[in-house]
Amino acid sequence: MTEVDSEIIKPEMMKSYVWLQTSDGSIQQVEQEVAIFCPFICHEIHSGVGSSKNYPITLPPRVNPPMLSLIFDYCRFHQVPGHSNKERKSFDEKFVRMDTKRLCELTSAADSLQLKPLVDLTSRALARVIEGKSPEEIREIFHLPDDLTEEEKLEPIKNTMDDPRIRLLNRLYARKRKELQERERLKYAEVEEEHVDDRSVDDLLSFINGGNGDSKEARTSKNKKKNRRRKDHQKNAPLNCTSTSNSTSSSSNAVDLNNKDSNVLNSEFRDALVCGNFLPSLGKTSKLLDIEDDRFAREDEFDDDDGDLDDDIDPAIKEKIDREVEDFARRLNSDWPERMQEILSLGQERRTLPVSINGNGSSRRFVSACASFHLFFNFNILCKQIAILDSCEVSVLQSSHVDGFSVPSSCSSFW
Amino acid sequence: MAQSFPEDVLEHVFSFLNYDKDRNAVSLVCKSWYEIERLCRRRIFIGNCYAVSPEIVIRRFPDVRAVELKGKPHFADFNLVPEGWGGYVYPWIVSLARAYPWLEEIKLKRMVVTDESLELISKSFKNFKVLVLLSCEGFTTDGLASIAANCRNLRELDLGESEVEDLSGHWLSHFPDNCTSLVSLNISCLGSEVSFCALERLVARCPNLKTLRLNRAVPLEKLPNLLCRAPQLVELGTGAYSAEIQSDIFSNLAEAFLGCKQLKGLSGFWDVVPAYLPAMYSVCSRITSLNLSYATAQNPELVHFVSQCSNLQRLWVLDYIEDAGLEALAASCKDLHELRVFPSDPFDAEANVSLTEQGLVAVSEGCPKLQSVLYFCRQMSNAALVAIARSRPNMIRFRLCIIEPRAPDYLTLEPLDTGFGAIVENCKELRRLSMSGLLTDRVFEYIGTHAKKLEMLSIAFAGDSDLGLHHVLSGCESLRKLEIRDCPFGDKALLANATKLETMRSLWMSSCSVSFGACKLLGQKMPRLNVEVINERGPPDSGPESCPVEKLYVYRTIAGPRVDMPGFVWTMDEQVSSSLSRVTERRGD
Repeated sequence: MTEVDSEIIKPEMMKSYVWLQTSDGSIQQVEQEVAIFCPFICHEIHSGVGSSKNYPITLPPRVNPPMLSLIFDYCRFHQVPGHSNKERKSFDEKFVRMDTKRLCELTSAADSLQLKPLVDLTSRALARVIEGKSPEEIREIFHLPDDLTEEEKLEPIKNTMDDPRIRLLNRLYARKRKELQERERLKYAEVEEEHVDDRSVDDLLSFINGGNGDSKEARTSKNKKKNRRRKDHQKNAPLNCTSTSNSTSSSSNAVDLNNKDSNVLNSEFRDALVCGNFLPSLGKTSKLLDIEDDRFAREDEFDDDDGDLDDDIDPAIKEKIDREVEDFARRLNSDWPERMQEILSLGQERRTLPVSINGNGSSRRFVSACASFHLFFNFNILCKQIAILDSCEVSVLQSSHVDGFSVPSSCSSFW
Repeated sequence: MAQSFPEDVLEHVFSFLNYDKDRNAVSLVCKSWYEIERLCRRRIFIGNCYAVSPEIVIRRFPDVRAVELKGKPHFADFNLVPEGWGGYVYPWIVSLARAYPWLEEIKLKRMVVTDESLELISKSFKNFKVLVLLSCEGFTTDGLASIAANCRNLRELDLGESEVEDLSGHWLSHFPDNCTSLVSLNISCLGSEVSFCALERLVARCPNLKTLRLNRAVPLEKLPNLLCRAPQLVELGTGAYSAEIQSDIFSNLAEAFLGCKQLKGLSGFWDVVPAYLPAMYSVCSRITSLNLSYATAQNPELVHFVSQCSNLQRLWVLDYIEDAGLEALAASCKDLHELRVFPSDPFDAEANVSLTEQGLVAVSEGCPKLQSVLYFCRQMSNAALVAIARSRPNMIRFRLCIIEPRAPDYLTLEPLDTGFGAIVENCKELRRLSMSGLLTDRVFEYIGTHAKKLEMLSIAFAGDSDLGLHHVLSGCESLRKLEIRDCPFGDKALLANATKLETMRSLWMSSCSVSFGACKLLGQKMPRLNVEVINERGPPDSGPESCPVEKLYVYRTIAGPRVDMPGFVWTMDEQVSSSLSRVTERRGD
């Protein structure tokens, strides 16, 4: 019989309906062809329920009327055989655009009705919500309790930018830079500069550029530039003979260039470098490229070779600066006991190990306690530690193409 | 919400999370999510095999199907890690065999794998499918024979660039006749000839074979035999691409390639005879990945071939391509993502080819999608680097190797600080950087200020003082791996930034100025770090404490000091301060 025939024969044929009761007690009817898309409903019908209002199918508690309505919208579309894959995909994409709370409810409801395609669709959508978020954000979105105790959550590795010693160090260097810039400004304001001031600028420049420990002895001429570049900081010889000879030739070029110096050259060069080299203190964005362009242009004029600026360093000033750095380093080192106490005390809370804290032995006990983890550990703590360790690893699914070209070590290509 | 969400649904949601980072975030949300997540995690990635012990992993994740492990630090590729340092996989295999009988995948990088391990793998996991050994060593073809013989459902066998003791090519015949499951086979690192008949039969009976990378010993004349039996191949690594010029060889080859309609990736090309390259013209337009780094021939045909591949995304090539070839590449391959140019003759100080910074500039300017670069050259300028930085702010990996250490800008003879500074300032998504040339502390200041997404940094022969290292450690927030050689970095920056080291996977410093005393201090004060001193010339305490150590490898760990150290490696912990000989005893030598 054709469709037309069946319609002629039964003009009043109505679609069969199924009766459903939701958790709030309300009863509704839905076209059977749509409802049986849900396996749960299908099974219930086969058990003989749902064909009349008096014997409705009792839906699981997680299915409330609004969710049911959504589910049937889904079923109504997909049970039609005529749609193309593209159309179905497009429908699905639009269908899951809803707030996370509803998405969760829908997933739950679809799951209890055993409607796997919809469960897949909504689960993927929820995964996309979770992707890229921090635990705090996820907790907030899903209204979840923050019930991992502090000792279970590994204390987040503190952002070392917060470390007071780092900040101190950075402040010291920033101050040096500022002083330098101040002096430069003063230099322009006054016509004549004391010779000492010029050298201070050089000192500070070299300090900030990292004057090496070797340069303690007095330097007499611009040939320092040559020495500095030629100097092999390493005890190991250069990797092969040819490279040594090359560096010799390049530095002899440098000597030639050095010899045509003048005070004017140096000061203008320094001007350029002052503007160009000193990034503003950390946190401000720099117009690095623009500034460097200027510097570049100016240096072309003077045909100067490199950025070495520790010419004519007054040894006394250099000593002073070296001393300052040493002081600071000492301060760092003496800071350790306090800092360690801090770390230790945090560690003790976290690990809840039966270790007594006494002054001298604390660090040793702590470390030996670590060694006997396997006996005393709190399982959860260790497991959380893996989470933190992992949290900085790359995804396992990123394809790791072999990098590293196996070049023998005697070669200077080391990448 | 949490209450009404059944566990298996949540598990199902988690199964769509592809990145470890997301799974880790999920596990830290709350108790119930932690539990659910750990029970359903199937893939584990461990970037440093000594960071955690197998027991800890197994206790937390009871049902794992895929494990990926990395052993030696990256500088092992350049022979900076002495033989015998470590990275043994056997203890892991033993534990995994006991705990995960359903394990399917093992991927290892830079680990020492023995035949014993391979045999254990082949016998312990009934459903074993994937074995990937990248840059590994320690095994022979006998181990491979076990894998071939016993892994009934083997899908992938990838030997990467491993060092295999090649006892014979016979191992391939151990694949049983009913093995039809292979999808990927990479034997390109093997030296000796495999039985070609066995190979041919294997290829013929594996209808799903998508990747086939042959070794050099497979002759070009026989390649069509394999291609005809596997026209569905997506990636092909040829053997030696050379033969006497004969028209029938050529026509067979061309016909075979014509049949490979799915081919997207090509590699191999040892001893390439350029006259045979046109045989592949029919596949060029579909090629997205091309590895010519073994094609040691300087010939315009190579460049012509590359230019035909208009959809090329990844190109690895020797510097024979020269600036002209790179300019042609820039003009024809607009989809290029990754370029690696290797040196044909790295030991010669004089350039043997006309490859300069101009080639890289041309590609950077011409290829809008270029995001990954490894470039060996002999000269570089700040201007070029600035141009590259400006053209390609989308750069993610930038590794530049100027062959001469401390080579300055060849135009101005200045350090290359400005150039690299431009790179880090402009390329805000930069994740990996390797630098070379003359570099002062200034470049590290730029890096610390701008390279906020940088995860891996490789430095050699650079910097002036501790300030350089300090800038990097205090400024690079995302830094995970730092490897340094031959730089004047000492104790101060390292100790000042000790806590930073716990946020990173590892730090390698060799031929620097870190003193033994500082290493001891670091090891004593930071129990969650393993501070390994590698001194091949003798125990570090044989000199004064201020004496620099040869090599230093620091990595975070929750497994404590390792117990498999060779005689030239010492872990600094609180026991070291008493006496080094006690440490030796403790190691149970």
